Order: sequence, then structure tokens, then C-alpha cells
Amino acid sequence: MRLFLAAVVCRLLRFIGKLVGKGSSLPGKYALKICPDVLGRVKLPPCVIAVTGSNGKTSTVEMIAAILRAGGKTVVYNEEGSNQIEGVTTLILSNSTLGGKMKADVLLLESDERYARRSFKWFHPTHFVITNLYRDQLTRNGHPEWVYDAILPAIHPDTTLVLNADDPLVSCFARDHGKVKWFGLDECSVSTKEHHGVYHDGARCPVCCGRMAYSCYHYEHIGHYRCADCGHHRHDTDFAVTALDLEKGTLTIDGETEISLAFKSIYNVYNILAAWSVCSLAGVDKDTMAQIINNYILKNGRMVRFTLGSHHGTLLTSKHENSVAYDTNLSYIAHTKEPCEVLIIVDAISRKYFTGETSWLWDIDFHQLNCAHVEKIILCGKYVNDLAMRFDYTEIPGEKIVCCDTVPQAAALLQSDGAAALYVVTCFSDRDKLLGLVKKEEG
Amino acid sequence: MELTIAHLYPDVMSLYGEYANIAVLRRKLEAMDVTVTVREITFEDEPDVSGADFLYMGAGTERRQKAVLHSTSSCGPRLKAAVEDGAVLLFTGNAMETLGASVTDAAGKVWPGYALADFTTVETDRRDPGDVVAVSALWDAPAVGFMNKCSTTHGITAPMFRELPLGFGNEAEHGPEGYVSGNVYATHLTGPVLVKNPQMLDFFVRRLFARKGWDCPETLPEQPRQRSAYETTLRELQGRIKNQ
Ligand SMILES: [Zn+2]
Repeated sequence: MRLFLAAVVCRLLRFIGKLVGKGSSLPGKYALKICPDVLGRVKLPPCVIAVTGSNGKTSTVEMIAAILRAGGKTVVYNEEGSNQIEGVTTLILSNSTLGGKMKADVLLLESDERYARRSFKWFHPTHFVITNLYRDQLTRNGHPEWVYDAILPAIHPDTTLVLNADDPLVSCFARDHGKVKWFGLDECSVSTKEHHGVYHDGARCPVCCGRMAYSCYHYEHIGHYRCADCGHHRHDTDFAVTALDLEKGTLTIDGETEISLAFKSIYNVYNILAAWSVCSLAGVDKDTMAQIINNYILKNGRMVRFTLGSHHGTLLTSKHENSVAYDTNLSYIAHTKEPCEVLIIVDAISRKYFTGETSWLWDIDFHQLNCAHVEKIILCGKYVNDLAMRFDYTEIPGEKIVCCDTVPQAAALLQSDGAAALYVVTCFSDRDKLLGLVKKEEG
Repeated sequence: MELTIAHLYPDVMSLYGEYANIAVLRRKLEAMDVTVTVREITFEDEPDVSGADFLYMGAGTERRQKAVLHSTSSCGPRLKAAVEDGAVLLFTGNAMETLGASVTDAAGKVWPGYALADFTTVETDRRDPGDVVAVSALWDAPAVGFMNKCSTTHGITAPMFRELPLGFGNEAEHGPEGYVSGNVYATHLTGPVLVKNPQMLDFFVRRLFARKGWDCPETLPEQPRQRSAYETTLRELQGRIKNQ
């Protein structure tokens, strides 16, 4: 009876919420008040997939949904990104009968790393994809090991873990867990023998703090590792990218399926592989998967093209407080060979909470922009002085760097001057400040 | 003029860009015609801090901090000897906790510290990362920064910061923070604190000149934009204090 009441209230509030344009967590919140164990009472679909990790959750989930739907499955997932228990409750009840049976083949959840434990107290995913754990929003998350410790209790023994074999910390989830499927990237064209980046979180074993040996690095601490002290090592993969040409934008999965990349970033490669792995486990055939993934353009809009004055611009959405997200975008710019200018905006560090914390700027490898084709770097936003000081500790010639206090000032400067390709690196919290001042291009 | 910096365990204890503290200090000293040698102390080797003028350790995860406490029992006496020899020591973030008598982890296990001080630390399973404004007992301008701790430290009578208008002190919200004794300095402020706080940087430069017996000029060379970056952050954080 309480389940019924909770379902009715949730639906009603959801309906009203949609009318007034309010968020999606409130209905779930009330449903949980009426029936705290509502998630334990609902009859879920046979396949429940959860995705968590520091980077790429949203993109991976979006791709998984597209593939599963192409494979003929009905999928319910939290498109609005409300990934805490209240939002998950809203999602589930809004897509259930009033008797509490979910109307879908697959429930797909982007799960907040820190709240997985609360959501999965009442039910557990059949498949849990963990993409990576990096330094990400330390002002909220503590640090990667803290996040690891928060996810661990959310893992049920019956759940099949789908893990990134190339991430030494993520790999630890497989310890004492029976059902594990691994995905990873073989040594390939992007791999290096030396570590690149300002800091090296893979230098030490996450299990015993011993010195780790890498036979290759793909990026940051992601690669093929082995601890000489305790033996913690990269596991053999069940799903692998066996060849990769980022310049051409092609990758091969398991030696047989070639995929073209709409966005030539190493990130995208891992997101695709994660999606491929779990969809394969969910029973979608290779041809269907390949068809959807080929040249897949993400709807969640991390990349936007626009014009500003005579500049053709590309906005590469990064995340403030996430040096890996910055590094991969800077690497993308460094690998384009045409003359360009780069605009970096750090104005509001977060749109969700207040912080003046700028330590993360020192974790970003801005030195990657020290190449001839990057002709000018414009820094702007409230934290322009912090940015400028950080750049002062790279070897990038000072005469290439221009500082503006505000986004409109930077935009005016670009409007009036130059015609080179323009790359903009900033966060969701700041990007609309620029996008409001430019002419967006379609596609 | 020559000076040696010993950076302890940079690949184990540096979670928030702490290397920048060494970089900014080094550049400042070099601008004052000091030749600086940085000795990185590795985790596996005996910590050779002899002859060092400045000893620094940054923050790590709770597990990394325990690894440091576990395998470097020889570290305490060596640090003590260096400090008695007049070296200036600064530990930031949870490296501060290692200087005390012990750290009790969230599971209740007690880890003996380096015992340069007799304070004790207790970790909890609660973490409140957040911005900090701190009023120093040692220099004029308030310090700004960030803390990411899940512990309280007890038994400190001489803190580095008298009070925290914003943030959690050694054992209480807004309470005194950090530790000072002779030439030993510690604070739970995390990350590149010497980058964010020009006055704190100046303080340690003067402290090092004093250690060397060198004459320190009245005004120290400024690094471009360091002061304006500091002023922006302070203004933002003070605005937040007012809105609370
Ligand atoms: Zn190990």
C-alpha cells in the first residue's frame, strides 16, 4: 500500500514538476518519505546497468542507451543527470506501474561516485561499469581513494563488475570479487614508455604503496602496470581496443571491428570501449553496436563549434577541478597541427557550490601548449591571475600570453583581431558566458 | 649564497600540486641571488636530510600518510637532528599530523608519529573539504587556502593561525589551526599554500635568510600577479563569510 502511495505521489509531483519546470529529485524525495524502502519493493527489469567513475559517465551512459535501443531494448535512464538516490527514485517510480513494476528491459543509471552506496542499498545493478578514478573535484570528493572507499560498499557480490583494466585503482575493485569483466587498451600508437603529466598518481601501488612499473602509458596513470612488491597488475582484457589511430580517428575493437571516431580523443576511446563491453554483455550483437558507435556524436554537447569575428571556434568542455579533463583537451589541441589560438576561462570554479580553490591549476599540464602552432593564449576570468602565474611556471614564451579580466573583454579582443582557428577550454560553469557572445554553428 | 631544500616523499605525499610550493620558493630565492639545490627524498631510501636548510612535506591520502609513518621510523630522529641544527621545517596538509606523537586512524589503529611534537591526531570517517581564511600569529595578512581533512588534532598550545574566520581548525570550527615551535611549522592548509599566500612565502624566505645569517632586504622581489591572485581569492572568500 505504501509503495502504491509513494508511486502515486511521485508521479503526481513529477507531473507538476514538469509543468513548472522544476528538477527531478523532489518527487523521489517525497516518495522516500512515504516509503523509505520503496526501491527495495519495486520490481526492476532483468538488466540493471550502473556507470560510475570520475570522467566520462554521462557520455558513456548516453552511448549505452543508444546502443541498447538500437538492439531493440526499451531503456530507462537518468538523462537529466540526477544521479543521487532521490533522482533515481523519481526515475524508477515514474517509469513503473502503480503496482511497482518497471516498464523497461533495462534500467540504466549514471551513478554519483559518492552516493552509489545509498542508491544501491535497496537493489543492486546486474552490471556495474567503473570507468576510472582520478583527482576530480577534490573540494567535494576528498580524493580518489576516498571515492574508492565510498563505492566499495555499494558493490554486491552478485553484480558483474565491468572494469577498466588500465586504471590501477579501479582494478582494486576486483580483489575478493568473483564476477569481473575487463576492458582495456592494448599497447598502440598513443602509448608511451615515459609518463606524461605534472603529477603521477600511478607511481605508487594503490594496494601497498610500492613502486609501480609500467610497460606503457596511455595517458596519465592509465596504462599497463605491475607492482614489484605485491604483484598488483593490469589484468588481461575481455574487451580490448587492439589498434588505435587518433590522428586518422579510427580504432579497432577485438581485432575485428573498425570504428570511426567523431571526436578524436583518448577519452572517447575509453567511453566507447566501456559502452561496447557492457552492451555486449547485455546481448547486443557486434554489427548493431558498430553501426551506432561509428561516428557517434554525443548529444550532451561537450564540443561546440562557433564563429567569433573572423575566428572559427571549437569549445572543448573540460571540468574545472579535474586536471585529466583539461589535459586530454590540451593534448587534443597540441595534436592539431594548424595555427591556432587558445582561450582558457576560469571564472566560476563551480556552478553548484562556492569555492576559491585553485590548487588543481598546478596539476594541469599546460606546458602541452608549448608548440609552434599555438600562436596565442588568452587567459581570462576571475582567476586570471592564478592562471597567469601558473603559465609563468611553464616554458611557454610570455609574449604569447594575453590576460583579460572578464569573458566579454576576451571575446571583444578576439572579435576585433585575428582569424586563426580558436580553441576554448573551460568548464560547464563558465562556457555559457562565452557562448552567449558568439554565433553557434550547427553540427 | 647557497641553500638546500629537502622535499620529502614527493611521489607519495603530493595530492594537490604541492610541488608548486617548492617551485615558487625556489624562484623567489633565485631572484635574490641564492643558488638553490632541491633534494628529493625518496620513500625507499634512508631519509638524508643532513645539511638541508628547508624541510618540506605535502599532503597525501590517508593510506599514503600511513605508508610514510610505517616505513620511515628512522625519519623522526633525522628530522629532529636537522631541526636542532637550525633547519626550517614546513609540513602542510596531513603531513602536519606526522610530526605529532600519533595518528589514530578511523578503524582505531594507532600509528606512532615522528614525535617532533606531542600533539595527537584522530581520524574520522567524516570529511569536510572546504575553503579557508586564517589569521596568522606570524604575519599580517590573512592566509587563504583550502583544507581537505577528516581528522582532529589535539594538544597544540602554539598554533600557526590564531583563528579561522572560515574553516575548521585543529579541533574546532573557526578554532586555532596549525602548529609552531621554534623553527618547526605545520598547517593542515593543503596544496600550493606558498603560491596562494605571498606574505607566507615572504615569511619563510626571511626565516631562511635568518637561518643562513644573511642580510635580508626590507622589501622582497614580487612575483608577477601573485599578490593580485591572492587579493581576488581573499575578496571572494570574505564575501562568502559575510553571506554566512
Ligand atoms: Zn603493490
